[in-house]
Amino acid sequence: MRSKIAGYRRFLLVACGFLPVFFLSACCTPKGVYIQKMKNRSYRLMVNGKPYIVKGVCYNPIPVGKNHEYDWWGDPNKPWIVDGKLMKEMGVNTVRIYQVNEDPQKVKQVIGDLYNLYGIRTLLGDWLGFWEYPCPFYGDKKFQEKVTQHVLEMVRLYKDEPGVLGWILGNENNYSCLGHVNPWSSPEVDKEPDPQKQKNIRAKIYYSFVNEISKQVHQIDSNHPVGLGNGELVGLDSAAKFCQDVDFVACIIYRGKTFGNLFKSLQMTFDKPLLLAEFGADCYDAYLKKEDQNMQAFFLQSQWSQIYENLAGNKKGAGNCLGGTIFEWTDEWWKHNSDYPEGWAQHDTQSSWSNGSYYYDIRAEGNKNMNEEWFGIVALSPQLEPATAPGAAESINKRIPRKAYYVIREFWKNPNYDARHKKKSSRGKK
Amino acid sequence: MKKLLVVLMALALLSPVMAGAEDKAAGPKEFVVYLDKNAKDNHYIPSGWMGDYGDIKMNDQAAENPHTGTSSIQFVYSAKKSQTQGWAGVYWQNPANNWGNKKGGFDLTGMTKLTFWARGAKGGEVIQKVMVGGIKGTYPDSAMIEMGPIELTNTWKQYTVNLVGKDLSYLNGAFGWTITSDMNPDGATFYIDDIKFEADPDLKPEGKKAQGMPFYVYADRSSVVNHFIPSGWMGDYGDLKFESSSKEDPYLGDTCIKIAYSGKATQGARWAGIFWQNPANNWGSVDAGYDLSKATKLTFWARGAKGGERIEEFKVGGIMGEFSDSDSATIGPVLLNKEWTQYTIDLKGKDMSYIIGGFAWSANVDNNPDGATFYLDEIKFE
Repeated sequence: MRSKIAGYRRFLLVACGFLPVFFLSACCTPKGVYIQKMKNRSYRLMVNGKPYIVKGVCYNPIPVGKNHEYDWWGDPNKPWIVDGKLMKEMGVNTVRIYQVNEDPQKVKQVIGDLYNLYGIRTLLGDWLGFWEYPCPFYGDKKFQEKVTQHVLEMVRLYKDEPGVLGWILGNENNYSCLGHVNPWSSPEVDKEPDPQKQKNIRAKIYYSFVNEISKQVHQIDSNHPVGLGNGELVGLDSAAKFCQDVDFVACIIYRGKTFGNLFKSLQMTFDKPLLLAEFGADCYDAYLKKEDQNMQAFFLQSQWSQIYENLAGNKKGAGNCLGGTIFEWTDEWWKHNSDYPEGWAQHDTQSSWSNGSYYYDIRAEGNKNMNEEWFGIVALSPQLEPATAPGAAESINKRIPRKAYYVIREFWKNPNYDARHKKKSSRGKK
Repeated sequence: MKKLLVVLMALALLSPVMAGAEDKAAGPKEFVVYLDKNAKDNHYIPSGWMGDYGDIKMNDQAAENPHTGTSSIQFVYSAKKSQTQGWAGVYWQNPANNWGNKKGGFDLTGMTKLTFWARGAKGGEVIQKVMVGGIKGTYPDSAMIEMGPIELTNTWKQYTVNLVGKDLSYLNGAFGWTITSDMNPDGATFYIDDIKFEADPDLKPEGKKAQGMPFYVYADRSSVVNHFIPSGWMGDYGDLKFESSSKEDPYLGDTCIKIAYSGKATQGARWAGIFWQNPANNWGSVDAGYDLSKATKLTFWARGAKGGERIEEFKVGGIMGEFSDSDSATIGPVLLNKEWTQYTIDLKGKDMSYIIGGFAWSANVDNNPDGATFYLDEIKFE
């Protein structure tokens, strides 16, 4: 009996000796979301101490018959519940939202539901006033202050939500520095007669402004990284000088089946980790004038192969890619003409722009082959799902996953799988 | 013993036959296109006359100094632009005049090269390119291989087109050549002989090699070192007039490029531009990129007729298609001076390993309400 008690006491003593170790290690396990810099200028995203590959989608569930002004956050049928389930089954772990709703309760509901029910984290963004009328006056101090406060308010409101993954500032705002989209100017720019130097001055103003916001975000929130939204790599030579306080670059890239030199080029120009924040392919063949899900699946699989080639630890690539958010989760039927309400209930098949790297249908009339209303990897049906909200008469549009949904699902399960083996074995079966 | 002798004799008699059978099973070592006029081994007909066909005269039994046999084929190109094209060429086809609308051709699987002998009457004649395959249509050739430009000498020289690894299962357009008035402003007379496909088992496939520097886009109108064709007219193409042989104060050499942009928005686009492409009109559908990975910059000289003309962009690369350019680089907007000024597009850090779109410019009406006339010269990668 004495020996038993003594043995028990010895056990307790030893166990107590280990307790501080357990406590210390629990404290030292990094919390929050951060970017880890590794050897050879490679980077990876860490979430609560574990590597995290962003396998995401851009999310804007506008129903058939509505346009971008529709408040889906307040939809009583909660489309994110149906979508989140489908996303989880696919393997999606992140959604990207371009701009949060003005109602914090609604935003917290969406972020919370996606995370708590499905483990899906959210990248929250802000347009930085890009769509303000008449133009974004990035050279104006009052405008800058207004935009900065809008961003900081978002950060204060949601930084403690467990489902938040990070912040993305802007989208393709950099094109405004070239004068291509939403052009703006300022007295400093107007004084310069050389148009190339004017472009450089605008870039300096814009990227310095984003850098300042980024610094202030870091002061409020040290637990989430801040991304610079950027169209292509345009202007990043200026970002390298004036925007070093961002943590990653969130690029919008439409280059067809491969991203080409994107990853190494970013490494050379602006050595920051890269998130493919918007990329993908539409599924309407503008030349044959019919839906082509195989075409979309082909481009998306090829793009994801390249993303994985360029993750940290893969010697084949640059090692600076954090993953991507596909454009987009569902079709948006309003996009071809946002000012024509009758068109929002039609799945418009007109193409609005041309991109030769999506070469399957480049022979379409006028070479216009990009169909804005057909980028979803999940199609919407005019038919509705059964109503879920108590007392609601209507529900959400039925979701019909496209081939790309399944192809990417399988790719994520086994990204090292060599498709050539599959072809050989199918020949063998014949 | 007798039986053994009979067997041995039978083997001795049969072995040449078996060897011959093996040879047959190995396949032919060559496939002749042209040896001599009326040679029984000839295949294909030089019937596919292209471009300024009125500028071509052909004599397929030229007796003057053939390479072998009694004759060679003489071509006389006048460069008079009879059909206003500025170029001409001939395809050898099977059957004659088959532009891919009928089944014909030959299966030349197993051949690894096409060889031919050529000389110029004087030396210095420039063949823009020679082709194997490349005819499209309902029955398209299974491959297209090009080589050139070739500057001929006045003595016979053999040329080889490497076909290793190419799909030669259907070739209607066996061999062809093209010539341009820019490269031969006074015309050209040249001779071709002994055209044949050969099976050379030791020949290795031609890998893409990095081009040496400098690599010219444009030196002078008739320069053999020019590459890419200013074929990609964009936007309001009706607003453009293009001269590759302007003698108006070239920066260097005899000629420069003169571009007149009217700004009238003829096609309603309100902008216009030109892409230099390889080959002509290649928007990324043809696998023909140059490896320019040794280039650290592209330089060119430009001036405006009046000064102040605004070019929105000068560009290298950026063509997207099934065979996309590996990268792109731009400068602009640029306000041109009246005097020649050199501009540089920095390519450091860019992936120039595969370039179809060698050079481009674009301008718009908003910044050139009265249009713009400007000049370019000495465009080169270095």
